[in-house]
Amino acid sequence: MKAFIFKAAAFFCGLLATTMTFAQTTQTIKMAVPTALTGPVAQYGDMHRAGVRLAVEQVNEAGGILGKKIELVELDDACEPKQSPAVANKVVNDGIKFVLGHLCSGAFKPAAQIYNENDVLMVTSTATTDELSTYGYKLFFRTIGKDGQQGPAAGEYIVKKAKPKKLAIIHDKQTYGQGVATQVRKTVESLGMKPTIFEAINRGDTDYSAMITKMKQEGIDFVYYGGYHPELIVLLKQAKDLALNATWMGPEGAAVPDVKGESAEGLLVTLPPDFSKEPTNAKITEAFKAKNQDPSGAFMMTSYAAVQVLTDAIKGANSEDPFKVADYLHHNKFKTVLGEIEFTPQGDWSTARFDIFVWHKDATKTLAP
Amino acid sequence: MDFPQFLQQLINGLSLGAIYALIAIGYTMVYGIIGMINFAHGEIYMIGAYIGLITITAIGTMFGCPAWLLIVSALAMAILVTCCYGWAVERFAYRPLRGSPRLVPLISAIGMSIFLQNYIAVLQTTRDLSVPELITGHLFSFTMDGFNVSMSNSRALILIVTIALMATVTIYIRSTRMGRACRACSQDIRMAGLLGIDVNKVISFTFIVGAFLAAVGGVLIGLSINKINPFIGFVAGIKAFTAAVIGGIGSIPGAMLGGALLGLIETFASAFLPTEYKDIVAFSLLILILLIRPSGLLGRPEVEKV
Repeated sequence: MKAFIFKAAAFFCGLLATTMTFAQTTQTIKMAVPTALTGPVAQYGDMHRAGVRLAVEQVNEAGGILGKKIELVELDDACEPKQSPAVANKVVNDGIKFVLGHLCSGAFKPAAQIYNENDVLMVTSTATTDELSTYGYKLFFRTIGKDGQQGPAAGEYIVKKAKPKKLAIIHDKQTYGQGVATQVRKTVESLGMKPTIFEAINRGDTDYSAMITKMKQEGIDFVYYGGYHPELIVLLKQAKDLALNATWMGPEGAAVPDVKGESAEGLLVTLPPDFSKEPTNAKITEAFKAKNQDPSGAFMMTSYAAVQVLTDAIKGANSEDPFKVADYLHHNKFKTVLGEIEFTPQGDWSTARFDIFVWHKDATKTLAP
Repeated sequence: MDFPQFLQQLINGLSLGAIYALIAIGYTMVYGIIGMINFAHGEIYMIGAYIGLITITAIGTMFGCPAWLLIVSALAMAILVTCCYGWAVERFAYRPLRGSPRLVPLISAIGMSIFLQNYIAVLQTTRDLSVPELITGHLFSFTMDGFNVSMSNSRALILIVTIALMATVTIYIRSTRMGRACRACSQDIRMAGLLGIDVNKVISFTFIVGAFLAAVGGVLIGLSINKINPFIGFVAGIKAFTAAVIGGIGSIPGAMLGGALLGLIETFASAFLPTEYKDIVAFSLLILILLIRPSGLLGRPEVEKV
């Protein structure tokens, strides 16, 4: 009986091995899309996936790259640094060589280290923390600006255009929120304005009225919030309830359709320029609309561009070797929906910029004056 | 800090503490009678919030009722369904383990908590769902020394409902047959059983009362912050549990006092210090209180019941 079990086990192992080799020789290039399919910020994940999916669909319709189709493997890290290493290990174990993600800076940080050690090429179209490009990863690229560009854009707007009497800067203690808030603080301080309040809130709390009362007491008339939308929605509502007369501003992580209603009217956000308005992108904008998706979503176009640069580089390098592709990425310019892109030696988009938008109660946005 | 600011922070702190207290009563009653911490209680609160939202969405889209009717029916439905959950959790996860060592039901409770959280996450997705803004406006809003002091209607509702419910629970426990049975069980559950009290019924009742209050808390907080997700139960549960311990676990007035105190401490800590210190202050105080009074502010010293 025992012998039989062993034989059966061996047989199944053999069977498994054959299927594995079969999978490896099929004619696709696998690209992992680690993003948030669940969790409080899954809305960003929707934009990220929509951009990537459309771009890949169009590449595949046009015959793929190097004679192969692209196969997307969507994975969920829920934007949690605790879950992302598991996702990264899965990518590595499955032998996937290209990653389009992760979605969130905090979750990307531990995962990026694993990719770097295992020679996986990463192109993120959403994670903006400066730290990611400071570790000297040779296979790291991003098609979005970084907080070192976003923070100063916000800071300059605050000092030069908004000119508040008293400024408060708050953040959610996360890699992304704290990073961008610190950048804003540095910028305003270098321009000679000192924030009256610089504090942190807890992610997931539901009552910020004590802090808002304190802001009111201090006479704060401008609040910069570094963080994601779930907390911002509560902050905005409670600020309105307590009649705090202040203008609010947030980074691109605050701009999702859920931010709406009276309390969201007039919120300022820094976002990549609205590339869906570019006449050259009309076809892609139409394709998004045909799928009932909003092409002006913050990460739609940047994610589309991530696929563009990656596929162009694989074609250009005529190789699936991540190092050859990275080399090609470093030394060439790419025509994308974001315009012409060039990468710095650290993998950042050299000419990225952020615009300031005013958010409205129906979750639409217009360029700030 | 001047008086108007102080007044505003007092209002903030009390309405925050009210929710803690509502949930804390569930912890404290269960502990008082069977001596276990029902870690799934925070999830019961979360389920209450979800049932409330589902009811509002269902009725609101069907008939277009006035807001107050929506709120009342959301509360009624949430209480009904959540009480069933409270009862069922006890029946399936705790009652079969009643004779076992203390750690066993505790682990079962943690398991139940994870089960309920994930069960809702699968059914309702983990995204934030937005609750319609049914309660708007302010109960009062006046300017004193150039500072505007206000209380929104949603916060006022939380405070009023909480106080009313607590008074009801206190009177009920003090002066009804079932309340007397509860008190008897909390003093000595075996003796109470020998004297003819249906202990199982009393325990079920405790879980139902706890779920009742948690459901009300869930619906009210949903209406107040206008968004819910499956993880709200965890933070709220931990805070309420802390409130129950501060007040003296097992004591109902203690849970109320503990809730109010925790809300006020958090609020004033964040008023005087940078906000990031508020939990440090609150939990340092918890340790301090327990060092001085190990059984909490209003708790009676534990007589070892094994």
